[in-house]
Amino acid sequence: MAAGTGSPSLIYLNNAATTWPKPQEVLDEVARCLQTPFFEHGRSTAGSAVDYPAEAREALAAFFHAEEPDHFIFTQNATDSLNMLIHGFAKNRKAPFHAITTELEHNSVLRPLHALEAQGALSLTTVPFHDSRVTLQGIEEAMLPETRLVVMTHGSNVLGSLQHIRPIAEYCSANDIFLIVDGAQTAGQVPVNFTEIPAGAFVFTGHKALFGLPGTGGFYLQDPVEVASTRQGGTGTESRNLVHPQDMPWKFEAGTPNYPGIASLLAGIRYIGREGQDAVTGKCRGLTSRFIGELTGDPDIILYNPAADLPVVSFNIRGMDNDQVGYILAKAYGIITRTGLHCAPLVHDRIDGGKGCVRVSFSSLSDPEDCLTAARAVREVAAGADPQIRPE
Amino acid sequence: MKEYILSGPLTPAFLEFLRSFGTVKEYPHMKRPFFSFEQEDFISVKGFAGDTSVEVRYRKEFSDLTSDYFHLLLFYGSKGEGGIRKMHEIEESIREKMRIRRPR
Repeated sequence: MAAGTGSPSLIYLNNAATTWPKPQEVLDEVARCLQTPFFEHGRSTAGSAVDYPAEAREALAAFFHAEEPDHFIFTQNATDSLNMLIHGFAKNRKAPFHAITTELEHNSVLRPLHALEAQGALSLTTVPFHDSRVTLQGIEEAMLPETRLVVMTHGSNVLGSLQHIRPIAEYCSANDIFLIVDGAQTAGQVPVNFTEIPAGAFVFTGHKALFGLPGTGGFYLQDPVEVASTRQGGTGTESRNLVHPQDMPWKFEAGTPNYPGIASLLAGIRYIGREGQDAVTGKCRGLTSRFIGELTGDPDIILYNPAADLPVVSFNIRGMDNDQVGYILAKAYGIITRTGLHCAPLVHDRIDGGKGCVRVSFSSLSDPEDCLTAARAVREVAAGADPQIRPE
Repeated sequence: MKEYILSGPLTPAFLEFLRSFGTVKEYPHMKRPFFSFEQEDFISVKGFAGDTSVEVRYRKEFSDLTSDYFHLLLFYGSKGEGGIRKMHEIEESIREKMRIRRPR
């Protein structure tokens, strides 16, 4: 697709931020949703329309092998989900407690925890990663008698590394530690089975690998008692009662849902189900391996995780700032990436001295030819990266 | 961040002028020769040789002090040594305001 007159054709490789394009059936479902009055039990009598929230909860439960569809809560995005869970968990505690997180985390985890630490609600230990992963041993070594919460990513948005979350979830469950898993980069990208990950809560975003619209996300909560609600309002149920309902899902949902967004999420899940999660995962791994293979061995390109499990590849070119590389790729080659710290500052402190890097990320709808074109472009930029800086 | 469309490409003489205020890097061996200019706390400029558009970034905390800075560089860039002197005066005046604003 051409970006504009005289511009190179667009190659979009920023799918870890948000996926583009979306499958046609997602676009069709959103259009269909907007052509009839919205319906949700308790909020409308338009009974012939699709109850998107109810159908999406059932679809999510089947997709993630979850027992309770009503324990799926819709939010604006993963950041919204993480804030609700972290602040809701802390609100339930009667005394300050200890929490554990990791150097791999996004600011949607780090900032709420930092805010609570600054308020004196918790003390925080940040576990380092080794070879792009946080280990169970690292979590165990950080444990204190007053540890009550672990919040960690399932997949790094910078290093593309899939964390071995199952043993950590089993350990936390056995020790009565509430584990919140940030699945923003893994939901829809790799198989996720809640029967195998006994986490307290799993967070997903709707607009990345699940192919929904931006403004969608959610979480699954095993035991609603663990987390207090932090917002109250209209639920379409028990309207006479001024006490906000504690039944699921209304305990955590108030106000009019994002019906078109939820419709897009439902269509995205159905799309992945029809294509097959393994096929989606396999295609992305093929694109990632191919791209990394084209860059490996180039002495001017620094690859930060040549063994990425997820379709996320971060790199720098020697002698150039990452924002310069991103600018050249976008303007001269039409390749859309992301540069900078990717909202994950602690990872960058470790890998590039906090300066940031260029990130390329694929989806299962990315064109394999675009993958090769992008790799060639990066190599061309690297080949010309010897700057002339004239002395004053 | 702003993208400026200029009446003509930035000249080698103008890049030479910019050297008086910060670091100019040129990458003539790129498929599209690229340049960047960085003046700490003030602005960074990047673009391709021969293009009439450039990207200019400002430090957010000082953007009200520096938002006209690129225009001033373009104006004084053709004034020779007098232009360099004047820009240094302007730079120092802005830096003084930055010093006042920075927490002690």
